[in-house]
Amino acid sequence: RFAVQDVPFSVPANAETTDLSHLINKLLAADNADHKYVEFDFLINGQFLRMPLVMHMETENISTEEVVEIEYVEKYMAPQPEECIFHDDWISSVQATEEWILTGCYDHTARIWSLEGKSIMTIAGHTEVVKDVAWMKQDSLSCLLLSASMDQTILLWEWNVEKNKVKALHCCRGHAGSVDSIAVDCTRTKFCSGSWDKMLKIWSAVPTDEEDEMEEAANRPRKKQKTEQLGLTRTPLATLSGHTEAVSSVLWSDAEEICSASWDHTIKLWDAETGDLKSTLTGNKVFNSISYSPLCRRLASGSTDRHIRLWDPRSKDGSLVLLSLTSHTGWVTSVKWSPTHEHQLISGSLDNIVKLWDTRSCKAPLYDLAAHEDKVLCVDWTEAGLLLSGGADNKLYCYRYPATASDVGA
Amino acid sequence: MGRRSRGPPRRAQPFQGAESEEVTDSEEESVYSGLEESGSDSSEEEEEEEDEGSDGSSPPPTRTPRKSKTLEDESALEGNEALLAQNEYEEDSSDEEDIRNTVGNIPMEWYQDFPHIGYNLDGKKIYKPIRNKDELDMFLEKMENPDYWRTIQDKMTGADIKLTDEQVELVQRLQRGQFGDVHFNPYEPAVDFFTHEVMIHPVTNRPADKRSFIPSLIEKEKVSKLVHAIKMGWIKPRKPKDDTPTYYDLWAHEDPNSILGRHKMHVPAPKMKLPGHEESYNPPPEYLLSEEEKLAWEQQEPAERKLNFVPQQYRCLRAVPAYPRFIHERFERCLDLYLCPRQRKMRVNVDPEDLIPKLPKPRDLQPFPTTQALIYRGHTSLVRCLSISPTGQWLVSGSDDGTVRFWEVCTARCMKTLPVGGVVKSVAWNPNPTICLVAICVNQSVLLVNPCLGDKLLYGATDHLLESYEAPEEERIQPVQWVTANVEEHSKGIRLLIQHSKALKQVTWHGKGDYLASVVTDNSNMQVLIHQTSKRWSQNPFRKSKGLVQCVLFHPIRPYFFVATQRYVRVYNLLKQELTKKLMANCKWVSSMAIHPGGDNIICGSYDSKLAWFDLDLSTRPYQLLRHHKKALRSVAFHKHYPLFASGSDDGTVIVCHGMVYNDLLQNPLLVPVKVLKGHVQTLDLGVLDVIFHPTQPWVFSSGADGTVRLYT
Repeated sequence: RFAVQDVPFSVPANAETTDLSHLINKLLAADNADHKYVEFDFLINGQFLRMPLVMHMETENISTEEVVEIEYVEKYMAPQPEECIFHDDWISSVQATEEWILTGCYDHTARIWSLEGKSIMTIAGHTEVVKDVAWMKQDSLSCLLLSASMDQTILLWEWNVEKNKVKALHCCRGHAGSVDSIAVDCTRTKFCSGSWDKMLKIWSAVPTDEEDEMEEAANRPRKKQKTEQLGLTRTPLATLSGHTEAVSSVLWSDAEEICSASWDHTIKLWDAETGDLKSTLTGNKVFNSISYSPLCRRLASGSTDRHIRLWDPRSKDGSLVLLSLTSHTGWVTSVKWSPTHEHQLISGSLDNIVKLWDTRSCKAPLYDLAAHEDKVLCVDWTEAGLLLSGGADNKLYCYRYPATASDVGA
Repeated sequence: MGRRSRGPPRRAQPFQGAESEEVTDSEEESVYSGLEESGSDSSEEEEEEEDEGSDGSSPPPTRTPRKSKTLEDESALEGNEALLAQNEYEEDSSDEEDIRNTVGNIPMEWYQDFPHIGYNLDGKKIYKPIRNKDELDMFLEKMENPDYWRTIQDKMTGADIKLTDEQVELVQRLQRGQFGDVHFNPYEPAVDFFTHEVMIHPVTNRPADKRSFIPSLIEKEKVSKLVHAIKMGWIKPRKPKDDTPTYYDLWAHEDPNSILGRHKMHVPAPKMKLPGHEESYNPPPEYLLSEEEKLAWEQQEPAERKLNFVPQQYRCLRAVPAYPRFIHERFERCLDLYLCPRQRKMRVNVDPEDLIPKLPKPRDLQPFPTTQALIYRGHTSLVRCLSISPTGQWLVSGSDDGTVRFWEVCTARCMKTLPVGGVVKSVAWNPNPTICLVAICVNQSVLLVNPCLGDKLLYGATDHLLESYEAPEEERIQPVQWVTANVEEHSKGIRLLIQHSKALKQVTWHGKGDYLASVVTDNSNMQVLIHQTSKRWSQNPFRKSKGLVQCVLFHPIRPYFFVATQRYVRVYNLLKQELTKKLMANCKWVSSMAIHPGGDNIICGSYDSKLAWFDLDLSTRPYQLLRHHKKALRSVAFHKHYPLFASGSDDGTVIVCHGMVYNDLLQNPLLVPVKVLKGHVQTLDLGVLDVIFHPTQPWVFSSGADGTVRLYT
């Protein structure tokens, strides 16, 4: 759309992005009479230009004598705030689909919201804080969803959309600590959970009518009765142990591989079939959250310092940080790659700010979304163009982000 | 000129008959006095003239002529004899005035005491002429008589004689050193009898003696004797002159490298103070002394004076007088040099950097907490105590607002609030990971609370364990009462109450989690009690009180029990029931104590802002005393795994130190302060009240008087 002739231009050294943007716009206007003004962002060797040209070239060690190829893309517009959904308590987790938003809340419930911010369903059943939620399966009639809680169980719910009824199908018991994270695999038949008890467990997600046998201590009939109300007990298919501290985040990087981050400063990659440890990435801080992008095949991790680090999970030398994005001033509690854009990710931090990053500009984020009044605990974004963030101020903020612009080279 | 000095005393003598001398004396006297006067006058005038800056001093014009006059007079006196002889012939012509004295050439002083002066040719006495001239008359005569200068007194007759022109000329010639006779030529050409030139004729015509050209027999004899003596060896040839000096080098054999070498012991003279502005001839006005200062200066002892002179201002350098204290000052300088201490200052050339022990950089001692990460808000009053669950997931804090709060560590979420109805002095989470129990000190009782957090199986098992207690048959007498919580308390989580008779101060668990010790504010022997939870049995380990107990601690491994009183820490062996050690804390008031997980090192915080590190194997005195805090220390803590310890103080800071204990017994612990953590607001002059480390991560929690708990990572 915005192609210009491939002719070298001489640009003043102290030009900034706005100057360059004006230049491109003038060129475009000369070619095309009905051109409207478009703001551009500029890339030099895959790095965003964020300061005057000469300073950037100095810091990047580019000679001013040579012809520099400057790429330009349409400027990514700021996400527009849409909804603010109020909860009764802190929001621990959020996951959204095209139609609904599922949140886990510190008032022991999980909630389903429409994209417009209407409360559709409140799922109560846990006896403790809900730490993580996940959509399992979505049909037009019924949906399957998961909620993990501090009460050491994961509940598999079936939500009848039409009747707006929810039913606990299975109660996954086996963890001996707060279940902090769950992840559903791409076939939607299994899921993995990570817990404070240092274990990862893989569960079957297929609802059945049979109850797994659980060798429970006979002297606790009261507890058993209580859990029996909430669906059939399910036991894990496999247990992956190897972490020496609490597991804070798990995900499936592909159909066969589980990736888990822990407080013992490591990210471990597991073979989901055999349960073997494949490799370990070692950091020097506690990991709070990891995210994997199949588009760029990178892991992003948020830890208990200010940095977001990018890792290559396939690298054999273990603990190599490819890049660190530094702008937060508190712990990074959650990170999430964009599902559509290979360079973009968002992060939420204890400094109350959600940041939208482009990996090509690692010093400064693209946008700061400073709406929260307290700690941000979870972030998510959907393919439908929605950014979500929930935090300790009981609010879930939704932002609409523009569809990804096409890159044009010059 | 010797006489001149005799002049002034003579002046006092009464008038007597020795006229001739008197005349000269008076002459001299007047001259001398005049000189004196003019000298003093002139010096004064000179000063005045210089002050005025007018033309230079000119010597008084009268001086030289007068002096020459006296010279003339004297020479006239010397030539007296000749004059008298001349007078004799002159007076031959007039016979009537021939009063010739016949005493001859004798000193006329012999007649000083007589009225006469001699005898004339007829043998009659010649009387001294009556002289009644006083000074004034003589002066008048001197002024009036034009021939006064050529008038002299005849010693023989005492009469005044006026010298004729010829006589005056003679006197003047003699004074000039010329011959008296005008016609005598002293420089007539001389005729030499012998000349230095060699003449053709000898002076004598006598032929030379024969002996002058034949060899002397006597000499030959003497020479042959000497030759014989030399041949016989009786005469030795002259020894070569020994040119070794008669003096020797006193310090020739001194070791030049020895420290006592004289040249090395050179002591430089003390340096003189350089002159300052106050010594200037025109000092700035602030250096000039005011009247009061001058008075004070004068009243001071000379030794006490700051300045040994009064700064004075002169108009110009020329007006500065001679320095009157010069000699004095030189003398004092000489005294200074003579009496200066001949002590050699042994200055050691040491780089001060080398004296600082080599400590590793804090950067190399990572990890340690560096920044504040989370703030746990909720308490409304100061938070006195903290404890953390053995897994590190939960934090419990007790506050003055009468509540105990349970927090989720990673999110700062308050999970539970337990109102206990009193100031919470101490909380302690059971260190046994299989038991979920928290001991809380409120007022006079220790509450054992099951927080119902974490693993369900665990806290269920804990409840089960507590319920499974069966009371023994016979009731035992106990110092405290064990009370099971009622239903309402049970629903809040309280399981047991241990009711003491006095208010409690501290509670701490043994590492196994069955025993706990409590400290009561009391000064009897009942201050420290040890309770066993499983048997609900309490005992009092001490028979006597050893002072006000501040805190107690169980050894993590061995059966030792630490009791900190105000100044000492006593270590008891619980098995042998005896005192093992007594550590001197070297501080005034111990506030807190923590033990290294290895069990061989203890740190004590004190209210006089010191932190003492004891190495139990090393000494009973502190291995190191750290004074990093500005105010009283409230709490100290060790990390379980990392080599870290922290101290919290009233100044609102937490100081984290690296405290590495080596397995090698010979290597002393390495203590390096690494970080000062700030954040707490000082409230009521209190800052940080408690610090505690996370059991697994290098994180430190601090609770403060501002009602917050902070996490630093």
